[in-house]
Amino acid sequence: MSEIVLSDVCKHYGEVVAVQSTSLRIGEGELVTFLGPSGCGKTTTLRMIGGFVDVTAGRILVGGTDVTRLPPAKRNMGFVFQNYALFPHMTVAENVAFGLEMRKIGKAEIADRVKTALSRVRLAHLADRLPKQLSGGQQQRVALARALVIEPTVLLLDEPLSNLDAKLRQEMKTEIRLLQKSLALTTIFVTHDQDEALSVSDRLVVMSAGKVEQIGTPRDVFERPASAFVADFMGFTNLVPVKVEGHGRGQLRNGMAIAIDKESPIRGEGLLALRAEHMSLSSKPVSSDVNTTEATIEALTYRGSFVDYLVRLDDETRLQVRGEAQSPFAPGQRTFVAWQPDAGTLVAAGQA
Amino acid sequence: MAMASVAPSLGEATKMPDWKPPILRSPAAALLAPGVIFVTLLLLGPLAILFRYSFNRFVPGELMVSALTLENYIKFFADPYYQDVLWTTLRISALSSGICLILGFPVAYFMVRLASSRLKAMMIVALVLPLMMGNAVRTAAWMVILGERGLAASIVSLFGFNGRLDIMYTEKAVVIGLVSVLLPFMILTLQSVLEGIDRSLEDAAGSLGADHVRILWRVLLPLALPGILAGVLLCFTLSMNAYATPVLIGGPKFHAMAPEVYQQVQRAMNWPFGAALAFILMITTLVLTVGATALAQRHYRRWAD
Amino acid sequence: MNATAPATFYRVFALAVLGFIVMPLAVIVWVSFFSNKILSFPPAGYTLDWYTRAWERPEFREGLFLSLQTALFASLSSLAIGVPASLALTRYKFAGRDIVTNILLSPMVVPGIVGGAAMYIFYIEFEVATEVQVAGTLPGLFAAHLLVALPWTIRLVTASLIGIDHSISEAAASLGAGPVTIFFRVVLPVIKPALIASALFAFVASFIDLEKSLFLVGPGRTTLQIAIVSYLEWNLDSTIAAVATVQIAIIAVLLLITNRYAQLNRAF
Repeated sequence: MSEIVLSDVCKHYGEVVAVQSTSLRIGEGELVTFLGPSGCGKTTTLRMIGGFVDVTAGRILVGGTDVTRLPPAKRNMGFVFQNYALFPHMTVAENVAFGLEMRKIGKAEIADRVKTALSRVRLAHLADRLPKQLSGGQQQRVALARALVIEPTVLLLDEPLSNLDAKLRQEMKTEIRLLQKSLALTTIFVTHDQDEALSVSDRLVVMSAGKVEQIGTPRDVFERPASAFVADFMGFTNLVPVKVEGHGRGQLRNGMAIAIDKESPIRGEGLLALRAEHMSLSSKPVSSDVNTTEATIEALTYRGSFVDYLVRLDDETRLQVRGEAQSPFAPGQRTFVAWQPDAGTLVAAGQA
Repeated sequence: MAMASVAPSLGEATKMPDWKPPILRSPAAALLAPGVIFVTLLLLGPLAILFRYSFNRFVPGELMVSALTLENYIKFFADPYYQDVLWTTLRISALSSGICLILGFPVAYFMVRLASSRLKAMMIVALVLPLMMGNAVRTAAWMVILGERGLAASIVSLFGFNGRLDIMYTEKAVVIGLVSVLLPFMILTLQSVLEGIDRSLEDAAGSLGADHVRILWRVLLPLALPGILAGVLLCFTLSMNAYATPVLIGGPKFHAMAPEVYQQVQRAMNWPFGAALAFILMITTLVLTVGATALAQRHYRRWAD
Repeated sequence: MNATAPATFYRVFALAVLGFIVMPLAVIVWVSFFSNKILSFPPAGYTLDWYTRAWERPEFREGLFLSLQTALFASLSSLAIGVPASLALTRYKFAGRDIVTNILLSPMVVPGIVGGAAMYIFYIEFEVATEVQVAGTLPGLFAAHLLVALPWTIRLVTASLIGIDHSISEAAASLGAGPVTIFFRVVLPVIKPALIASALFAFVASFIDLEKSLFLVGPGRTTLQIAIVSYLEWNLDSTIAAVATVQIAIIAVLLLITNRYAQLNRAF
């Protein structure tokens, strides 16, 4: 049993609230990602679970046991640090053996388990190297092996890929996910990279300014952001002010009536989150079941296979729209911006 | 590479009559000359002379006769008195640097882990101020504390002992004085090394199941070894050469090397023997320092940069 | 650090050790106000008489003046020699730079007592050869103290020169400034705090030097440190505590000013 439950956990540093009261349940064998910009409280939350940061209030349970006041050494969690934190004075094998030695396991068994752990990350041949003689990716795998060899109840990964180059990051991402699945290990993964978060997780916890903004599957979060912040963070380049009239009707500031999500509970002032690539430009209005509004091209950026336009509606609202690279519009030209009603997501007006 | 760069400059040298080594052509030469000449003339030159004099012969009445003899060194190692002086000096130095390490490490670690940088700055000031107060004043303070009717004796008598502590003019008192004088050096040295040890290494060891003692023993101490070595050697060297503390706290019957050098050179005017003493002191310190460094480096050269 | 048992241990331990380092100085300041004729604890009462008595003793009065004078000379002249040398060490690459650095820092490495003995013998031999007296003279003492101060100056100034971005000099050069202008208009203003700090620090280093001066003071010409040690060999009373307190006050003020210009621990 290794379900993780946070109940009303918060962290204050004097007057500063690093993490607001947070409750969360992470199921057995699930990989949950804490996603957010730096300073959002994701790492602090992870470190509270790991036992490196005292909890100001609330409880942390792992497999039904309260670990809130336990020191890290008693939690039996595997932790992978952002900078790997490999002991520079120990060889790869010694690093991996460390946790087993702390558990007073016999020499022969340690040797055995170290070997297995290292072959699992394909590093058995480098057992006698020192960390500084390894590449970043290899160091990362040693850190992973060291965390896993103690057979932890949960695995905590603090921005594990941020120090790797793009290609290696891709590889390690897959490797971590496969390893996690094969071990069915409850895992928390902290990152600021939405791409990483989307591809690796069962569920995402999006955080901002010490507060959980949204919890959901990658698809939920990517397609149906719950707040202006999440929308912005997940790449919705446009947040258009809209007056919600109910029954799926809304009105832009320029008076244009549009169709919006019927299910949304938001009434009155709201924001319509739209991705640049989900909108299109045309020289004349398109069919009436598509939302359309008139605009002027302000600027364009050639991006190779497409063109990014900055367009201005008559009420000074600016939108980013992605268009095809062939036969581009010119600045100053009048145009029509169109999008499918279900391309937009309505979020509450507020801080993005 | 080296050959290629040397060859053309040699070619130039043969062409140009006023060829100078590269350093003298650089503007650096003019900037460095005053300092280098001054130090060479007033310290290094005189040291060479002192070394040469250690092979001269001392004739009472005539002072010094030029010679090339090892008799000053032989006299030192044949005389149980001087053997004892050297041995005492080594003993108090080893003891005081060892105690400095034990007392200093937790303080340095505490400073490094202090969350408040203001408090850390205040602690540094509290360490550097005493350090620069001068050994004369600091030793005087310990005389007031450890003396016959000093503070320590009065406090002891408060607890019912008869007020005689008899610690002044003992080796113990000298070690206490040295430790107090040298501790700030140790703490500052250790602090700068511990500062460089990534906090996450401790966290990693903790998450792998190590308690604080094992983190200390398996992670912090091995990684701090270069700093421990530097701090111990600094304290050891300074104790070996200490003057004020052994003279004043040790009293007239306590003999250490540095005061003995002064005694021979200035008071007895036996320059050859005084010179030999000075070099025995320096060479002993140097040999032990180099030995300890070699020994310690076997443990950390592998992984340290 | 968590509020755990080790944390409490470290806090208590650190405070105790800090107390052990600072306490002697506090005690000697305290003792300087005791009214007892013969030093004992606790005091019978308090008085300022010991300060007058200390002032009335010529060796302390003159010792203080000589020490201040020597330290001032050492501090200023070590700037004059040390700043150019530090510039050369940080700005130019040349073969033998390590050797030159070691030579310049050697006064810090050679034990004070050995260096003092060597200089003393050198001074006397110089006098024998040229009939110009050096040992026991003011210039002889000044030279020794310059030697004490120089490595500190070089260390502090070098550290601050390494810290400044070389590209600001290059920027000045590209705008048409010559080397001299660059030094006075760009480099000097940047390292000015370090210069003040190192001047003050060198002053203190010279002021408290004991071992090198030991051989080089002459009759009627003793530095304060030598006066204190000579007095302590035969006496221990509140007079010396008063002298010590004055010295503590002077140095504390100087170092606290230094601390405003540079981090004190950078010197070690």
